[in-house]
Amino acid sequence: MRRSLTIGIAGTGGDGVVVLGTLLQQLAASQGYFSQMPKFYGAQIRGGGSAVKLSVDAEGSSLPKDSLDILVCFDWGKYLEFQKELPPRADTLVLYENAPPKEIDLPEKSFKIDFSGVSQKATGAPRSKNIVVLGLLNRILALQEDRVKTAIDNNTELKLLKKTFPALEAGGHLLAELSFPELRLSPVHTALPKVIIDGNTAVAKAAIRAGSRAFFGYPITPASEIMDEMQDELARGKGAFLQAEDEIASACLAIGASLTGAKPLTSTSGPGFALMTESMVLASSAEIPLVIVDVQRCGPSTGIPSKSEQSDLNHAIYGGHGDAPRVVIAPYDVEGCYRLLIECINIAQYYQTLAVFLSDQWLGQTPVATNDDFLKKEYAIQELKRPAGKDLEDYRRYRLTEDSISPMSVVGDPGLVYQTTGLSHNEKGRPAFDFETNQRMHEKRWHKLAPLCRRDDLVKVVGKEECSRGIITWGSSAQVVIDTIKEFELEDKVKLCIPELICPLPDKVERFVKASQKLLVIEMNYSGQLYRYLRSQIDLPPNTKTYNRAGGRPFSRKELTGPIMEIIR
Amino acid sequence: MTTESASFRTSLKPVWCAGCGDFGLLAAITRRALPNLGIPNYKTLIVSGIGCSSRIPAYIDTYGFNSIHGRAVPIAQGAKLAKPELTVIAIGGDGDFFSIGVGHLPHAVRRNIDITCIMVNNFVYGLTKGQDSPTTLHPEWGEKQFVSPEFYTPINPILNMTTYSLSTRASFIAQGIATDVPHLGWLIEEGIRHKGFSFINVLTPCVTYNPPELFNTIKERASYLRDGELVELPDSSMEKPWPHDPSNISLALRLAQSPVLGKPHLGIFFQGK
Repeated sequence: MRRSLTIGIAGTGGDGVVVLGTLLQQLAASQGYFSQMPKFYGAQIRGGGSAVKLSVDAEGSSLPKDSLDILVCFDWGKYLEFQKELPPRADTLVLYENAPPKEIDLPEKSFKIDFSGVSQKATGAPRSKNIVVLGLLNRILALQEDRVKTAIDNNTELKLLKKTFPALEAGGHLLAELSFPELRLSPVHTALPKVIIDGNTAVAKAAIRAGSRAFFGYPITPASEIMDEMQDELARGKGAFLQAEDEIASACLAIGASLTGAKPLTSTSGPGFALMTESMVLASSAEIPLVIVDVQRCGPSTGIPSKSEQSDLNHAIYGGHGDAPRVVIAPYDVEGCYRLLIECINIAQYYQTLAVFLSDQWLGQTPVATNDDFLKKEYAIQELKRPAGKDLEDYRRYRLTEDSISPMSVVGDPGLVYQTTGLSHNEKGRPAFDFETNQRMHEKRWHKLAPLCRRDDLVKVVGKEECSRGIITWGSSAQVVIDTIKEFELEDKVKLCIPELICPLPDKVERFVKASQKLLVIEMNYSGQLYRYLRSQIDLPPNTKTYNRAGGRPFSRKELTGPIMEIIR
Repeated sequence: MTTESASFRTSLKPVWCAGCGDFGLLAAITRRALPNLGIPNYKTLIVSGIGCSSRIPAYIDTYGFNSIHGRAVPIAQGAKLAKPELTVIAIGGDGDFFSIGVGHLPHAVRRNIDITCIMVNNFVYGLTKGQDSPTTLHPEWGEKQFVSPEFYTPINPILNMTTYSLSTRASFIAQGIATDVPHLGWLIEEGIRHKGFSFINVLTPCVTYNPPELFNTIKERASYLRDGELVELPDSSMEKPWPHDPSNISLALRLAQSPVLGKPHLGIFFQGK
């Protein structure tokens, strides 16, 4: 029996690849299995290649392994587009429908099965071939038959299987005709059903949880799902939603809504993020809470819209003209997408500042089956510091206070009217062009964020403190680094630091660096953006190594072993 | 209540040149429209862009935001959507609304969100010292905009903001003049009262960069629209005048197409439901 299995499915648009992967993930989740299912798709609107790489795990949420235990192929031509993401091994079980082209060397346990024919026989139509495969995979993985039936009856997501049940059963019967080494999943410890959620959905749900009552966005891959989800949520009378004419408008609509205290959210990806730049520094300068979610994709320019990269860090930290302090937060898993988005809205409110949330295509669009405790637990929700006491008699919007945070009234508050501007302004918010005021207001805006450097809780450190070798990584890359260290049993040899709060940089990162003699920075961008940023903030060990490359393909464990072993040696 | 005076003015002295039309707008808002409407200052938000006229929020004792160039309209819509009980006014110049921010206008119009958009049209970039704006008139070329006469005959007429807003079916469109404060105040009042998006084009003299004959001509030829009364048409027009009917969008479009130097109409061009 296997603790975990990695299953690759490839085909053309109409083959139902994603539906098959999704249904299998749901059936497994209903029986308590953890899973992750990254999706790979081409540039075509319809009819292009499509693939998923589903890892089902009995013990914990883990990434798919580098190579496949099972490959299901509906279309070899399309498979070739994703061959590097879905590599088979010599012992991979391959189930396919049509004869492969010459350049594909099939492993020993490969079976040509007429899925369409089986579907035709069972349902009278060939199109349920993916359900036939699902039936077969259920049996191969040894999911419990009776619980599959209960799940189909009770889970609305699985309703489709009621109609296609004969195809599912026919698929199951195919098992008897095949002979291959056992690929059954080991039973789960607790058969508690898992929740399935991707990062984009988690972000939207977290926004509502944090009290966001307005969303403005513009469609863009791979961030649109956040907008769709927010539309559903806010349409139920919970707040304002508008699809804007462009991302400049999205950010400006959010700034307008923020003046009324609505905790607005906007989400986008690279090109849209660039368009928001002028609004970002306006929010920073006029101290208006603004949260921008950037689901990073390959850049620069249009880049590769459907694939992950971590190359917007520079823009998040430095984007815009003038000295405009801001907060940059980056989750590395789906739980982080939820917890940290709440944190991001809290920070933007409390510090009255711009907060950029850097997700990426991998995090945003990979459905993860996991325990739902992070969705249910209590989170502290921060509100604006509101005027009180003396403020009520002589309100100054940008009053200089001990912590540099000035109480903020919202439009509609009686007696607390103010006028503000992106011009250099005084405590009353009125234009002031003298050097002293300009300097003082810069100090105020930078100083107010200083306490964030003490947020040790926003830096995850894994491993033994006495370890002299350290790795720093961020965002979704951290998942592969964690798994690589585990798989090669390097826990005693190297420790890991994942800053979730990147700007301002928490002191804990410096302490980690100081306690490491050798350091490696791993990230998925060509120029080493985190490495360069860290160098600008702290003294790194003299021979600090980096491993960074462009996006377009996820990191594999094998790939990361090289640089990790190099610093361990 | 911290209203500094009953007149809705803050204590700040405007930066404008003496004789600037923006003073007329400031008076129309603070002395006419806002007091007449009786809306408390804390329930009003004025958002502006960048330019001479966009300095205005600092002078008005309501919530105010002098934001960035061209973006007053989306910021205003965001505030209105998030808190519909507010009265929200967007103010900007011809550069703001018809150059850098022009992409936002048709969308504000089609959404018909209840904000009032006041375009302070002084036919020039004043704050940056006199460059052409999309509405700059060059009478010697017959109201054509300069492109590059050596290679291209300038065929594009200046952007006519009233025609433009009408063609995108803004639900309230009016034109006022900054030199007639009571009339302009009344137009703004009606624009704010109107349920839906309202657009008011304010012909505003720039005493520093407009040729003096521009506003002399506009004032001389200006004609007030009155419901049911025959409209005046430019001398060159062959059309027969018709009784003004602001509920008729086709007639409104014909009015808006009058060249501003031919017959500047003042009043409500169109008011839909």
